[in-house]
Formats: sequence, structure tokens, C-alpha cells
Amino acid sequence: MHPIFRNKQFFRAYLPAWVPIGLILAGVLRYSSHLELRWIEVAAIMAPLTVVLAIVCLSAWYICRFDLRTTADWKLFAIFVPSAMCASTVVMVCGHLIVWTLGHVFPNLEPRFRPAIPVLAVMFCLVYLLSILLHYLVQALETSQRAEILSREAELKALKAQVNPHFLFNSLNSISALTSIDPARARQMCIALSDFLRNSLRLGERASISFGEELSLARSYLKVERVRFGQKLRVVQRLSEGCENCRVPPLLVQPLVENAIKHGIATLSEGGEIAVTGEHVDGRLRVTVENPFDPEAPPAQRTGFGLAGVRNRLEARYGPAGRLQIEVEPSLYRATIVLPWADGEGNQA
Amino acid sequence: MSIRTILVDDEQLARAVLREYISGEQDIEIIAECGNGFDAVKAISEHRPELVFLDVQMPKLDGFEVLELVGSDVAVVFVTAYDQYATRAFDASAVDYLLKPFDLTRFKAALDKVRQRIAARMPSNLNVAELRQAATAPGQYTQRIVVRDGVQLHVIPAAQLDFAEAQDDYVALHTRGKTLLKQQTITNLERALDPARFVRVHRSFLVNLERISKVEPYTKDTRLAVLADGTKIPVSRSGFLRLKELMQL
Repeated sequence: MHPIFRNKQFFRAYLPAWVPIGLILAGVLRYSSHLELRWIEVAAIMAPLTVVLAIVCLSAWYICRFDLRTTADWKLFAIFVPSAMCASTVVMVCGHLIVWTLGHVFPNLEPRFRPAIPVLAVMFCLVYLLSILLHYLVQALETSQRAEILSREAELKALKAQVNPHFLFNSLNSISALTSIDPARARQMCIALSDFLRNSLRLGERASISFGEELSLARSYLKVERVRFGQKLRVVQRLSEGCENCRVPPLLVQPLVENAIKHGIATLSEGGEIAVTGEHVDGRLRVTVENPFDPEAPPAQRTGFGLAGVRNRLEARYGPAGRLQIEVEPSLYRATIVLPWADGEGNQA
Repeated sequence: MSIRTILVDDEQLARAVLREYISGEQDIEIIAECGNGFDAVKAISEHRPELVFLDVQMPKLDGFEVLELVGSDVAVVFVTAYDQYATRAFDASAVDYLLKPFDLTRFKAALDKVRQRIAARMPSNLNVAELRQAATAPGQYTQRIVVRDGVQLHVIPAAQLDFAEAQDDYVALHTRGKTLLKQQTITNLERALDPARFVRVHRSFLVNLERISKVEPYTKDTRLAVLADGTKIPVSRSGFLRLKELMQL
């Protein structure tokens, strides 16, 4: 739907915004008719015609579907100019009707209007092109606002999810168990848990961190879980050289690892292995997290946040260049993140 | 005489805490420990304990499903880390529970209540289906139905249930040409399942919307729903209204 109907403020501001344009067009009409038209006649023609133009210009929204960056210039030209000409023709036809109707009031109006036609037609074309431009601006504004809201929301949720209460209380319970069985391990787990909480607080508030930092966050999370799950949880990591330096939004990989445990390792009574890989390929960073799962266990009720949050944040930050892909094989679950490579200095490679 | 007890928790360390606390109690005897729901059902049916410490979130079967499958003639203390809906439900139905991590005082208090119950031979008369319903977050519905058939356990994904038919205290669950009996009222089952996918078309019939291929008139007030496999199910007048609303006929 056209944004003007979605936003009341837009709607109210739209017609008044046309008043100055109407005034300018009125001036143009008066002078291009070689001052043959009186001001009263100009006003009588231009007032309804400006309203018509205002309505016709809204149609520009429907041709603003073409991406300015990816569509070739000649194509844009071939789309915009003819549509502006069509729009101008429509308005001119209405103009004629108006002039014809007004002819009953003002004698001899039509012949005096005729010389202004070419100038007006060109003006309408220009106004329509301007309207296309404005529509693109509105679109860009809306997209950026939405992206910002999405990324804020997702980030907030991600941070909340970090201190997943279930994880926290289970870990504290494990510590409580260990204090009498194995005090040294209890202390080790206290430290691992603090490391993880500290890291997620510290990294979570930054706009971007290095992939290496993100991995160490995931590792500190895994360290806690390993105390809880013991031998059930095994982790392997395969990284191609230098990929730790890529800049990534914080808390992108950790939710995948958490998912891998919650819906993978935890469903298997004998546990399993989580594989985390990072590669620098074709100017992109590709991260995969793989885990086995129990295909017999029907899906538990998921909060669904983990993956949706990652996907939203990728989209908000990178648009179509960043994506999250899920592959499910008979008993293997693989989540892949792909995002544009950017090194430590913020240079895009 | 000691109270025969089973510990159920998927985390070994969580069981260790319970074991440690129980070691100080003369009258509690641990007869088994289980790391997942299936083992728990098996152990509880086999050993018939008087008390079960039951973790709520577990792989394979959760705590509620375990209870549903073994019947409720056993004293239960639920153990959970964090679950706002579950704890609210436990409070409402006066079920004993422990929040991880818990200290010895809490543990003893819970145990004292259990002792009183067992001594007074109070039946636990816990309605597991209702408890589970209360412990589910609003808008969430069960994704699977668990049924015990002798020693065999069946886990039916909700999407595979064709229809259910009330038979006295039981429901007959029809799934992929098989029929399984479960001790549950059809109303309880109806409440647990997603109302957008399962419709009570008749006092005794609950049907999976996706299975209905057509609805044909039968008598003046009733109709028949014909399922994809040809099965015909009676549809009452009010059932048809519900169906119409969902299918937007």
C-alpha cells in the first residue's frame, strides 16, 4: 500500500504541500498564455488541476520498485521518462476537460489556454519526475528506519537471551552440586560462568567485534555447558587463516551454538559433537555450526528467538549480502552464516 | 519403612545434589536414577516407587509427559530451573516443587510435605493433563501426544493425528491407520492441541482440520465429515458451526 495511506501525518501534509507547486504552475500558466488568461481564470483552471496532478503523482510509488543501484541507467530512463509522459498526458486531458467545462463560465477560454499547453505538459513531466525522486527518498527513509528498529529490537532481545534464565539457573545448580563433590571444578565453573557473563555484557554493547572475539564468547559459553554436560558435549573448531580478524556484529554465533546444544546435544542421551567452522571465501566470511540431533524426538516447543534474531540482525545490517541458512540432514543440523568480509580497519575486501 | 524413591534429571550434576541431600535422610531409599524421560517411564512402571523427583525439561519426554504415561499414583516433587508458567501452575495446584539451585532447608521442607502425604495415604489425585495445560505458555500448544501401550511408548506428533474419538474415560487416537487408546478425556486433549488445527466437530470427535476432504449432509441437523482416507465422522450442528468458522466456508 502507498505509504501515504499508512501514515496519517503524511496524508494530512500531502495536499498542503502542493499549494506552492500549484502557485508556481499558476504563474507558468499565466505567462505561457502570453498574459491572455486573467488571474481568476488561471486560479479556476489550476486549483482543480493541481489536485489531479497531486493524485496522479501518487502513482509514482508503483514504479519505484526498481532498485536504483542494480538497475541499469538506460532502463531507469526508459521506465521513468515514458511514465512521466503518460502521467503528464493524463493530467493534460483532465486539464482540457476542466477548461472545456469552465468555458461555460469564462467566454472564449479554450483558444487563450491553447498556447500554454506545451509548456504545461513539460512542467507536469518534470513535476512527475520530481515525485518519483521523492518517493525513492521516502522509501529509503522508511527502509532505514525499519532496519534500525529491527536491529535495535533484535539486539535487545539477543542481550536478554544471553542471560537465558534457564541456562543461568541450571549452571548455578551445577555449581551447587560440585561444591561438595569436586570443589575445584565448582570454582572452575564459577569462573567460566563469570567469564561468559562478563564477555557477553562487554561485547554486547559494541556495534561490531572481531570474529575472534565472538568465537571466544561462544567458547566461554561452551566451557560452562561442558561442565554441565560433561562427556556428552564435544566441540571441534576449524578456522581458515586470518578469519578471526573479520568484523562481525556481536552475539551472532553464540546463539547458534546455544541452539545446537538446546535442540541438538541435549536431545541425545549419549551426547554428540558440535563443529564450528569459519572460512574467508570470495570476500565473505562463512561460519557454520553443525550438530547432531535426535530425529526421533519431535520438535520441542521452541521460543524460536535464537535463529530469527540472528536472521533479523543480519538482514538489518547487511541487507541481502548477509544471510543465515539452515540445512537439516537426517540426523545433522547445520546453520550457516554468510556476511561480507570487513577487516580490522573497517575496509571492505 | 523407607520411602522408595526415583531421581529423574538429564543432568548428572543435578542428580548428584539430590543424592547428596537424600543421603542425610534415613527414611529415603533411592532405587533408581534416570537421565531421560523414556528411562523414567520404564523405571517408574517397573519399580513402582512412592516418590519421584522429576525434572521438568528433559530430552525425549518432559516431566509432564512422564507423569501422564505412568499414571499419577505416585508422590512427585518437580524440579525445575526456571519456568514462570510451570511454577505458577505448581503453586495453583499445590504441587511440590524445587527451584534449582535449592538448599537443604528447602529440600527438607518439600520432603516433610511428601512424608505427610504418604503417611496420611493421601492420594495425589493430580490431574496431569490440566497441570500441563496450566504450565504451558499462552498461545503454545502441544506438538506431540504420548501414549503407552503395554510396555511400548508411542510419541505421536500432533500433525500425524487424524482424529480422536471419546470412549468413556479414554480417547481413541487414530493416526496413520493405527488406533491407540489413551486414558484422557477428549476435552482435555482438545485443550492441549492447537485450536486452529483441531476441531471438536462432535461431542465425541476431535478432528485434524487438514484431514477433512469434504463435509456432506447426513440428517436434517447433522453432517458427515469425510477424511482423506474415506473415514466418515459425524458432525453435530454446533460442530459444523465451529468447522465453518475455521474453514471460512
